[in-house]
Amino acid sequence: MIIRGQWHGALAGAGLLAVLLAPPVRHALEASMTAQMLVQIPLLAVAGVLLSRSLPGRLIAAIEPWNRHGLSTLVLAMFASAFWMLPRALDAAATETLVAAAKYASLPLLVGLPLAIAWPRMGFIVKGVFLLECLATLFRLGWLYLASPERLCNSYLLDDQQLLGRCLLVLGTALTLAIAGRLLWGRFDVTSAPCN
Amino acid sequence: MSAASPVMHPESESLGRGERIAVNFYVVSGLVVFVLMMLLGLVMRMAQGTWLDVGPVLFYQIMTAHGAGMVGAASIAASAVMWFFLRKYVRLRLAPFVANLVLFVLGAVAILAATFIGQYAGAWTFLYPLPVHSMGLWSTDAAALFMLGYLLIGVGFLLFYLDAMLAVVRRYGNLGRALGLQWLFGGEVDRAHPPAVVAATMVIITNSLGILAGAVVLVMCLINAYFPSVALNALLAKNLIYFFGHVFINETIYMSVIAVYELLPRFTGRPWSVSRPFLWGWAASTVMVLIVYPHHLLMDYVMPHWMLVMGQVISYASGLPVFVVTAYGALTNIHRSGIRWDMPARLVILSMFGWAAGIVPAILDGMISVNKVMHNTQWVPGHFHFYLLLGVLPMILAFMYHLSGSRSGARESAGDRVAFFVYLAGGLGFVLAFLAAGHASVPRRFAVHLPEWMPYDRAGSVGAMLLIVTMLVFTARIVAGLLKAPGDGAAAHAVR
Repeated sequence: MIIRGQWHGALAGAGLLAVLLAPPVRHALEASMTAQMLVQIPLLAVAGVLLSRSLPGRLIAAIEPWNRHGLSTLVLAMFASAFWMLPRALDAAATETLVAAAKYASLPLLVGLPLAIAWPRMGFIVKGVFLLECLATLFRLGWLYLASPERLCNSYLLDDQQLLGRCLLVLGTALTLAIAGRLLWGRFDVTSAPCN
Repeated sequence: MSAASPVMHPESESLGRGERIAVNFYVVSGLVVFVLMMLLGLVMRMAQGTWLDVGPVLFYQIMTAHGAGMVGAASIAASAVMWFFLRKYVRLRLAPFVANLVLFVLGAVAILAATFIGQYAGAWTFLYPLPVHSMGLWSTDAAALFMLGYLLIGVGFLLFYLDAMLAVVRRYGNLGRALGLQWLFGGEVDRAHPPAVVAATMVIITNSLGILAGAVVLVMCLINAYFPSVALNALLAKNLIYFFGHVFINETIYMSVIAVYELLPRFTGRPWSVSRPFLWGWAASTVMVLIVYPHHLLMDYVMPHWMLVMGQVISYASGLPVFVVTAYGALTNIHRSGIRWDMPARLVILSMFGWAAGIVPAILDGMISVNKVMHNTQWVPGHFHFYLLLGVLPMILAFMYHLSGSRSGARESAGDRVAFFVYLAGGLGFVLAFLAAGHASVPRRFAVHLPEWMPYDRAGSVGAMLLIVTMLVFTARIVAGLLKAPGDGAAAHAVR
């Protein structure tokens, strides 16, 4: 169901965040590297996307001059998400309360929310470069996790790491095929979209 | 030519001031890099034939720069062909086109600095782990700079393709419709659907995937260069490199062939219409160009057997669909047409010959039993020089002559005609020397040759000299034409 309206967005985002913070859910998702990387972190970013719907229009308009084509918020989201790709950061989040708090705050507020602000402002070319880099990152990370002969995270076992590597490769392949299929046979409304 | 024959320089090809400058830079950059890289090629052949004293260390630096430079020059010049003609049918913008050139120049500078200052000599294929196992000949930084140069060039092409993709999707709804997939199994084919759009769409699809593979493997190699503990799977790296490399160099043919579709009808007076076989040819090649690359790895016995078999089987067919529909189309277009034999027309017909003849030794090398004994011989540079030198480059030159001639209004001279035939003779001599040497089992990529191999090297050197002289003539003629004041020639190139 598509939730409309600022309050609905705020409630949905906060609700999702609350569910993810609930101890049973949190422990279940952080028990494995695969679940944390492929379920928890993306859902935290989704919470940020939902929260973005509650932002007042005036605030968005105020940052507009510094956010041409969504580039500033896109760069912010990319840097913040890059940090949480580091195995060391994941390790620390699993064992240190402060780092865990930073993760729960930064993924919605510094990844999901800015990305949601950027996306409608991004032109086709910026979106294309972003998506291609996302796909390349999935393949690179998958390859890295599979190639590493040692555990990259102290908190997780090697077989979990390798399962994550395989999952990332499968996810990258599936997304590549999906995007290629959409481009080949899909319908696009790009007449009104910004070019860049 | 009838009164209804295609216009030589249609208004739809007119260039704005910025566009004209950008196209001029593309053409001049392409020609300059071609000539410089040909000179490097000549140095290598003369060194192998002991006509020049070049040490092995420098030889491999030259070989690396020559390979990377030629692929880059062919790609950048071919992208100018695609941009120039595709913009007649869809709205392409100048900024991504210029960004591609700027990133190409930056990438080329990085590659040249890596090879001649950093002394990187690990070949254009940067096969893992060679870039980081230099035995002290070059530094990790030099290898990284070389790969960074590739990344810059790849980003430039990605911007160019994304802009073309946007334009095609805006006009046709999606890439499938631009490729003509809706007419493969039925329905009345729209004969007015431009062949240039079909070819460009195929290039957009396949080279975007090639660039994705390149972006993955280049960054992984860079990570490995600075964090050697992250050891890569060499076979996977080689697969990705050859997927990227094979697709990237093949796209130079598919971008350049647009010049054939666009220019030949203007000399024969007959339009080039798409047909169902034409669309099938392009659709089939779209798939096959992506899955044929294992034919580069036939000597890797650890490759999955099915991939090697696929590499061989698809090699028979990969280039054929597009080639057959293009060559057959060209022949029927020319037959009894009273073709006007100007330079672009000559070059287009030469390109058909070079493409046709060049893929024969390529297909032979794509057979496992032949590959086992031929792949590390000069047979391989023989076949790829054949269709690049006598196939792709003439297509590009045809476009450049068309562009230049339209601006200066000049017809071909006797000098052009002589240069054309000398180019053909030099090109044939050059590639046949490679193929004959390959037939005699002369290894490729050897800096020092045995005396028994040198006659081939010297024959090749003479061919290369002729080629370079004619390329200088072509370059001078084309650049002189481009420098004419806009508006001197046909209206197509007047400033809007």
